[in-house]
Amino acid sequence: MAVPTNSVVASGSGSLSTTITRLLIANRGEITARIARTAHRLGISTVGVYSEPDADALHVDAVDIAVALGGSTPAESYLRAEAIIEIALAHGCQAIHPGYGFLAENADVAEQVSAAGLIWVGPTAEQIRTLGDKVAAKKLAIESGVPTAPLFEVSSAADGSVDVPEGIPMPALVKAAAGGGGRGMRVVRTSDELAEAVTAGSREAQSSFGDGTVFVEPFIERARHVEVQIIGDSHGNVVHLGERECSIQRRNQKIVEESPSAGITPETRAAICDGAVALARSVGYEGAGTVEFLVDEAGRPESINFLEVNTRLQVEHPVTEAVTGVDLVELQLRVAAGEALPISQSDVQVDGHAIEVRVVAEDPAAGWLPSTGTITAFELGVDGDLVRIDTGFRADAEVSSDYDSMLAKVIAHGATRVEAAAKLRRALRGSEISGVTTNLAALVEILGESDYLAAHTPTAYLDEHPDVVASVGPTGDDRVGLLLAAVFATERASRAADRVTGFAPSGWRNLRTQGQRQVWSASGSETPDAVEYTVCGAAAEVLLGPWPEPLDDGTLPPDERRRRIVRLLSVTEGGGRTPSRIAIEIDGVRRVVEVHGDEDAVRTRSVAGALTWALAPRFVDHDAEAAGGGPICPLPGTVIAVHVAEGDEVEVGAVLMVVEAMKMEHKITAATDSTVTEIHFDVGSRVDQGDLLVSLEALADD
Amino acid sequence: MTIGTPLRSKLDTKSDDYLQNLGEMQAMWDEVESLMETVPTIGGQRYVDRHRKRGKMLVRERIEALIDPDTPFLELSALAAWGTQDPIGVGVVQGIGVIEGVECAITGTDMSVKGGAANPTTWKKSQRFHEIARVNRLPLINLNESAGADLPRQADLFIQGGASFKALTRLSKAGIPTITAAFGPNTAGGAYTPGMSDYTIFVKDAATAYLGGPPLVKMAIDEIVDEESLGGADMHSRTSGLSDYLAQDEMDALRIIRQIVRHLQWKKLGPGPTEPADAPLYDPMELLGCASADVRTPFDIREVYARLLDGSRFEEFKALIGEQLVCGWASIHGFPVGVLGNNGILFSEEAKKGAQFIQLCNKMSVPIVFLHNITGFMVGSKAEQGGIIRNGAKMINAVSNSEVPHFNLMVGASYGAGNYGMAGKAYDPRFIFTWPNHRIAVMGPKQLAGVMDIIARNSAAGRGVEVDEEALQAQTAALEAQIEGESTALYSTGRLWDDGIIHPGDSRTVLGIALSAAHSNVVQGATEYGVWRH
Repeated sequence: MAVPTNSVVASGSGSLSTTITRLLIANRGEITARIARTAHRLGISTVGVYSEPDADALHVDAVDIAVALGGSTPAESYLRAEAIIEIALAHGCQAIHPGYGFLAENADVAEQVSAAGLIWVGPTAEQIRTLGDKVAAKKLAIESGVPTAPLFEVSSAADGSVDVPEGIPMPALVKAAAGGGGRGMRVVRTSDELAEAVTAGSREAQSSFGDGTVFVEPFIERARHVEVQIIGDSHGNVVHLGERECSIQRRNQKIVEESPSAGITPETRAAICDGAVALARSVGYEGAGTVEFLVDEAGRPESINFLEVNTRLQVEHPVTEAVTGVDLVELQLRVAAGEALPISQSDVQVDGHAIEVRVVAEDPAAGWLPSTGTITAFELGVDGDLVRIDTGFRADAEVSSDYDSMLAKVIAHGATRVEAAAKLRRALRGSEISGVTTNLAALVEILGESDYLAAHTPTAYLDEHPDVVASVGPTGDDRVGLLLAAVFATERASRAADRVTGFAPSGWRNLRTQGQRQVWSASGSETPDAVEYTVCGAAAEVLLGPWPEPLDDGTLPPDERRRRIVRLLSVTEGGGRTPSRIAIEIDGVRRVVEVHGDEDAVRTRSVAGALTWALAPRFVDHDAEAAGGGPICPLPGTVIAVHVAEGDEVEVGAVLMVVEAMKMEHKITAATDSTVTEIHFDVGSRVDQGDLLVSLEALADD
Repeated sequence: MTIGTPLRSKLDTKSDDYLQNLGEMQAMWDEVESLMETVPTIGGQRYVDRHRKRGKMLVRERIEALIDPDTPFLELSALAAWGTQDPIGVGVVQGIGVIEGVECAITGTDMSVKGGAANPTTWKKSQRFHEIARVNRLPLINLNESAGADLPRQADLFIQGGASFKALTRLSKAGIPTITAAFGPNTAGGAYTPGMSDYTIFVKDAATAYLGGPPLVKMAIDEIVDEESLGGADMHSRTSGLSDYLAQDEMDALRIIRQIVRHLQWKKLGPGPTEPADAPLYDPMELLGCASADVRTPFDIREVYARLLDGSRFEEFKALIGEQLVCGWASIHGFPVGVLGNNGILFSEEAKKGAQFIQLCNKMSVPIVFLHNITGFMVGSKAEQGGIIRNGAKMINAVSNSEVPHFNLMVGASYGAGNYGMAGKAYDPRFIFTWPNHRIAVMGPKQLAGVMDIIARNSAAGRGVEVDEEALQAQTAALEAQIEGESTALYSTGRLWDDGIIHPGDSRTVLGIALSAAHSNVVQGATEYGVWRH
């Protein structure tokens, strides 16, 4: 699946092919690559820009030439409008496409661009200003006949006191007029909480956006977020391209988007689409934009509340492209060049259903904490053309906190919503990104979850489905397949590395008492996996789960581990970046797993999902611990006891802490006589292999 | 280029004869295997549990945790003391394993067997192991804990027991590192195991070493002292200096051993494998049915070669003369070898051929594998007149003075001077491994009993007395049964005449490990021999 490429014939006064021959894309990441793709298809050459850390990023490869902006933070680089305009002029560009974020929706920049004699690919500065003010936009919406709940303005006096209007229905939402992303937002359940919420919201809005204006509107419990894609030209034409639903959000930021919405009635659909067009017409809107609404979970027309207008191309525009077959960037460029819209409303047909997910470098299980680092593997999708992938990342790229955490968008189009979800899920299961934590596993869970499939997707969806968020990837036999592929790829490598007895069968014994025992941990998983295997000829017998450990009386409990018979049917060795491809048979079921191992981690990937595994070291190096300032956690587990307090002097071997892992209690002891300087975990804390548990300072030898 | 051309097997592995023989061999192996299975807990489950209750690992668990992942471990003389009053295996595990990529001779005491106390066979087994470490130049790893000697049996072990400490220091002198980790008590003489080692590791709160324990100290000098101050790990690490490394726990001790082996910068002195190490064309597991379960039934040794040698390739030497000794060149897991195997009796031509072949192997410094399937040197007037003694002497001269590593694989009988000509135990082969059908004695039990019967009859005739036919027959039958019992593979392994009974299908692996171990030392042939009796 790709960006629609059915170019439409130009009409109207301007002509793209003569007006814009070189386009500057003032952005980075996936959107730069995506804009460049359409520009190139239309014969337009592209100029990109880059910050210092992005010097070899994928988006820089996607444009014809790119010009250094220097710096690394957005302020030092992509937000430098004047520098960007100079670059556009110096390199003979006729137009600047701001993408989304950075300079997009900045009326002043739009003005500067026009003043420099360049085309701003987007609405006019005036349109941006009018529609960018939420209060003004809402008033305009009401005037234009857009269906919406009423708006209650709040005025604050000079002394900081606020005047809250009477008769606001509860519950209500206090919102900042400026900004977005949920900051300054407060839900109020009863009228007497309102004044306080307004004061607090105003304070937060002031500090976040430099504008303390807030307003109040009815709060919709379990709302859905729906939005209408519009596009207008300079000839007064406006069409809508149907709606998208983007209800599944974390921290008020969209994570799963689709088109059309499966949760609104036809009346609602007609009302918001017509309303959006009416609003756009009222300002003579030029370019692509999105009119956002909230509706209740049933999607009833009487619940519609206008939110705001985004005067730019949205991140989630590909779902619209998928169902309408329209290339939105092409339309943006055509109307920016002065062409009339090549399509009329009656040309817009919605075909099937499309879903987009945002793959982000965040840890859903840790409150969507952003994850940074170097990407070590970046493989998205399976089966070729199953999905559309828009990304600005690849292996070796750095994910830094300077920029957005979004790594890629993956879009699937199907005849039905469920089909689109299934295709997308299949593609995501077969994807692998390592080096940073991502939400891939959570996305896979969402796309298979019954409420999601039934379109029961209010904005509170993620809060109401914590299991989905906690997902760490494949489970059951799928997980076992990945684990054993890691185990036996490692076993193969270890046999190949045996320079003295490499000829002998793996783990050969003439008097056998046990197999090869190992403990593996999957990234993100709390429970380590114990594996014991014995290779016998072409097959191996594998026991999964903790091996029996002596009880207090020295006897061993019965071994209740399940026995599995494993064969490696074929192995295609990889090398460098290329993973090895292993066909592994477990109890007669064959799976193909791609395995890529290095010293610290073995990455595995199959159509069932991807996991990165680490083999627990067999030994704890107490000397290194003594040198490193304290004991290192040997296995992922939970602290079940802390025996010392900060400031305690402990003797060598003293038990500092007890960590439960693998249903066993591991005593964490002092490697030398020392003073406890810091205890890093409390009872009940989850600890990972390699965590420094207790900081110790060695006592001087007397 | 490879050595030799592939052998063609004539063995029909679907034939009734083969399957019948296979079944008998399998039964013999099953007996061996079931005995081996008893060894890890031979001290009694109660003592195994007690050991674990103390938070200790069993000796084989220690070895599993010590050696490199997925590498092989060849346990030696697992059934030592079979058929004696001592427990099978005698409470000590010995074998060859890989630590940090270095083949080591690893030995450990099993505290669950009589508290790790040494009996006479224990000393014999350790002595053999020290010899293996010395001649093959393998770093020696001791996982030690022992109650000392089995005191009631002191008379049988006190005197020769001292040799093991001598062996340790001589290994050290020869540049072979000796590393001892003490996991428990090392009392009296046992204290000299760490005492004589290059490196010592003591496990905190577990290892102790003293010449006399607290009761003896009280008796001898009236000093009252606790175990820890007298010989605890901490004391030896901080005060006496007997311990070089103080380990926090058992796993830490194993880690430190690995760390020491790593810093040795160990280099093998042999040339290592040089030939293609492809698998035989015929399944090595068929070796189980190749040799005759009844050693009196002849079989072609080439059928063994076809399943033992790389690519089944064999370059036969003097194929047309002395045909009962099949000599030639080949490789096993890439290690070039000279192979000598019997198809029965050694005649003069076989002996001369063997002597020449052994000299050729020495000229090239190629190790030799002897496959014993021999009923002895030929007897009779024709043989004697043909110079069988003179010619047999050539072969014995050759194997006695040959300096390339010798490996014995007992695939059938090894009777009489044939055992000597084939470089048997007394000729110091690097390793001897035995198949379960093996028989070893001065001659076959029937022959031996028959000889004694004739002697008895002659003696009676000389004295002019009547032979008590019934008594003599009973005596002869009893003797035959006795010799039969004393010729078995189990009897042999119990007496440490070999380094272990192996499954025939494992022969390639076992010989590979043995060859690789031998290549840890210099592989150099002899240039001089005793006077040849021409």
